[in-house]
Amino acid sequence: MIPADHVSCPHCERAPGWWPQRRESVLLASVALLAILFAFTGFVTHRYHATQRALAQRWYNRGEADLQSGQPEKAIEDLETALVYVPGNDVYRLRLAEALAAAERSGEAQAYFLSLWSDEPSNGEVNLDLGRLAIRASNIPEALRFYHNAIYGIWSDNPEQSSRNARLELCQALLARQDTRDAEAELIALAGDLPEDANLYVRVGNMFLATNDLDRALRQFQRALALSPRLEAALQGAGQACFALTRYEEARPYLERASRWNHGNTQAAPLLETTDLILEIDPFSGRLSAEERSSRVVRAYEQAMERLESCAQGRGDQLETTTPQTPLEKAYAQALKLRPQMRESILRRDPDLTTAALDAVVEAEKVSAAACGAPTGLDQAILLAAQRHGGGETD
Amino acid sequence: MEGKLTEGAKSEVESRALWARIRRWVRLSPEPFSLREENLFLLLAVIIGLFSGLLVVCFRIAIDWTRIRLLGSALIPPPARVLTMPVLGGLVVAVLVVRLFPRVRGSGVNQTKAAVYISDGDIPFSTVVGKFITCAIAIGSGHSLGPEDPSLQIGAGVASALGRRLRLSRDKLRLIAPVGAAAGLAAAFNAPISAVLFVIEEVIGRWSAGVLGAIVLSAISSVVVVRGFLGGEPLFRIPVFRLVHAWELIAYAVLGVVGGIASLVFVKIIDSVRPRLQRLPRWTFYAQPAAAGLLIGVIGLRLPQVMGAGYEVIDQAMHERYVWQMLALLAAFKIVATSLSFISGTPGGMFAPTLFIGAMVGGAVGGVEHHFFPGLTGSVGAYALVGMGTLFAGFLRVPMTSVFMVLEVSGNYSIIVPVMVSNTIAYLICLRFQPTPLFDLLSRQDGTDLPSMEEQREELPLRVEDAMRQPAEPVFLSEDTVAEALQRAESLPASSAFLVGFRNGDWSAVDKAELERQVSYDKNDALLRDAVGGRLPHLHPDQPLYVALRKMGEYPFLPVVHRADFRKLEGVLALNDILGAYRSAFQASGRTGGAASPAGSTAKPGEIGGEPPRGL
Repeated sequence: MIPADHVSCPHCERAPGWWPQRRESVLLASVALLAILFAFTGFVTHRYHATQRALAQRWYNRGEADLQSGQPEKAIEDLETALVYVPGNDVYRLRLAEALAAAERSGEAQAYFLSLWSDEPSNGEVNLDLGRLAIRASNIPEALRFYHNAIYGIWSDNPEQSSRNARLELCQALLARQDTRDAEAELIALAGDLPEDANLYVRVGNMFLATNDLDRALRQFQRALALSPRLEAALQGAGQACFALTRYEEARPYLERASRWNHGNTQAAPLLETTDLILEIDPFSGRLSAEERSSRVVRAYEQAMERLESCAQGRGDQLETTTPQTPLEKAYAQALKLRPQMRESILRRDPDLTTAALDAVVEAEKVSAAACGAPTGLDQAILLAAQRHGGGETD
Repeated sequence: MEGKLTEGAKSEVESRALWARIRRWVRLSPEPFSLREENLFLLLAVIIGLFSGLLVVCFRIAIDWTRIRLLGSALIPPPARVLTMPVLGGLVVAVLVVRLFPRVRGSGVNQTKAAVYISDGDIPFSTVVGKFITCAIAIGSGHSLGPEDPSLQIGAGVASALGRRLRLSRDKLRLIAPVGAAAGLAAAFNAPISAVLFVIEEVIGRWSAGVLGAIVLSAISSVVVVRGFLGGEPLFRIPVFRLVHAWELIAYAVLGVVGGIASLVFVKIIDSVRPRLQRLPRWTFYAQPAAAGLLIGVIGLRLPQVMGAGYEVIDQAMHERYVWQMLALLAAFKIVATSLSFISGTPGGMFAPTLFIGAMVGGAVGGVEHHFFPGLTGSVGAYALVGMGTLFAGFLRVPMTSVFMVLEVSGNYSIIVPVMVSNTIAYLICLRFQPTPLFDLLSRQDGTDLPSMEEQREELPLRVEDAMRQPAEPVFLSEDTVAEALQRAESLPASSAFLVGFRNGDWSAVDKAELERQVSYDKNDALLRDAVGGRLPHLHPDQPLYVALRKMGEYPFLPVVHRADFRKLEGVLALNDILGAYRSAFQASGRTGGAASPAGSTAKPGEIGGEPPRGL
């Protein structure tokens, strides 16, 4: 038996009559009571959890509704209440963090996201949100880290697409911040892993265009056109890429088709017009007869002189001077020396004169552009044509 | 038919025979559940842990349920409820406390200590019931109090009830309440290590292997139960902690200073206002909780976060939900609200409000520092986390628990250095400007003089070296002859006693009368080792004096020997030397009467090996 030696408990006699007196019996009674209390607590806890879950769901739904209706501040309060009842719910926490981010409370949002991130560092969604916050804070290295975590992270549904979207979003964010170097690197990685989707090719192509990676851009548009030959955005993009690559002959059909199928296309039409002008005025274009080349040189010369004169007039400069001072005057004086020889018959006989004339034309256009703003129409076409053949690079 | 009946009767007979055998075995078995009291104590610790865990689960559910019923399910309750419910809750609680459960006033820590030190571990079960009901109503209705200290008392009450029913011995009955207290606190905090440390640091005040095992067992049992029923989620989600730079420790030191000042303000308010309210006429005890509730409601109209325990607000602060100005405001008004609730006699705990204030102070300090030194400081949430420990160290004055609590709650060991820096500074500030710790202050205000664990920790014990003296009498070797010894002792009185040292480091004693008796038996050439009696226990200079007292027994003196060489005599110690040392210590400390405990007291009065009675 359990020894009950030197018992000196002043309250032992208080035990009610029905309560067992022997220690073994007390222990057994305690165990029985424990079992009853276990059952009771289990029942109460079950009800409690059910109530908590219901309350949490109710507040979460309210929060969702508030978020949908563009009231992030109210949503925050609702979602915080929901979290009081189910503190560990990651979905609620994530939504709360997103609501905080939507309410421009980046610090709080980041703290929540970081807390989620510490629980699940490879969660794609959390990393993506953290990346967005880092972008908002202009912390590019951090943004790259989180976006990459998101790209290679774990996504609950549609992992491939989610991962791709994360990279697309990163590229867009980088481009928005003019970080073309990082954006291009991401785009190259993305381009190798694109599904067959014309719209996606166009999107990536446009981003390549923005990074000035024209060849890759053109390739994306061509991939899009291979899948969907009449896709206007792809035609326009391909035209733009060819235009930027000074491959005007290639650009023309793309731009022409883009504007033909959509007359309201405000980007393709002016480009097409410029392309046509370039192709019309370019004196170095291949397979030109000598007559045609001379004729183009004369036309370009006249256009350049006209531009100089109108520019000088607009600025109030006097071009007819014996001591040219300004660049406009110098360019005009230089070009004016060639005027007597600017006849097709002379030019046909003297190729060196053609070169000198074109140099003077390009110089005149450049000087005019510097003094009076970017050229348009034929003047622009002359400069672009010169650039195409390495003669018109702007400083 | 007949066959079937016969078969049924046969099986009934067999069944009866089986039961008879079992009954006989149980009856005849000499000790069917033979358990020694030590083992019973451990088993009981587990049972207490389970009971406490279950009750704390029900307690937490009751608080939540009351809150939802009274204040609604929204995080920010409607203004009408904010104003009315704390008042109504206060009224109900006041009636219950004054009429039915007078022992449930206060937090529960001192009541548990009182049970241990005054009433032999007795906590009436009605206190458990009362604490459960009144605290659920008070906290649920928005009073700024927490559930941890009440859980501690509920656990202690359950333990006490079980101990009494099992007719445990007085010693065990005294220890059983802290075992239950640890279980209750562990369940409420979901942090067994902190609970065990708190009970040892604040309730028992000493480490003892016997009781430690039981406390750990009960704490773990209760936490297992709570986690089983309510899940393993911590009370608040911990932010990512990273020490940005070693210089950031200076920022945490600043937090220690601010936390120390906040703790001081908090204690001083309670110290100055509580006795005044206690002196008011008895009828005001009905109105005080309601009045406190009204004021809390008024605060709650603008700052509803200060109502209740506030764990969700701590969570939000740790996730940088508030700017530093708001955090500072919340800290200030939480101090006011908690002081109001507590001094009005509303039952409820101080732990949760302390954590709340600490988190807000920490967050505010972190926010300011982050504003001025963004590159040198970490997240505001980390400061809130450290701030919780800082207030714990400063306000509750439990330095060990405060450090381990933050470690246990955060699960991040890299936080230990900032926590130690901040907590130590806050603790030292409070120690300097508020010599009496909160719990001692409360017990003295209530007219009891419970042992102060902090005073015991802080006081330097008297040691053997403070009392020992060089031997006046000659010291002999065991190889000396009786004649030689007697010759050297010739001029000394007959009652003189001498130490005799042995080569192996043993010591013995012999008096002059014994030497003379040996000579009379013609044993002049006998060696002393054959003439002396048993060996003396020895002492070392660094041992506390109460150890010397325990060993002294009937011996006239004891040798004090070197720890590395027992043959090297450092001095001798007699009972008079010990008494003289105590007397000198009392005179030096300027204390009088029995109000003070002797230095070095770590054992209970009356316990073997404990300190001599007071006023010695």
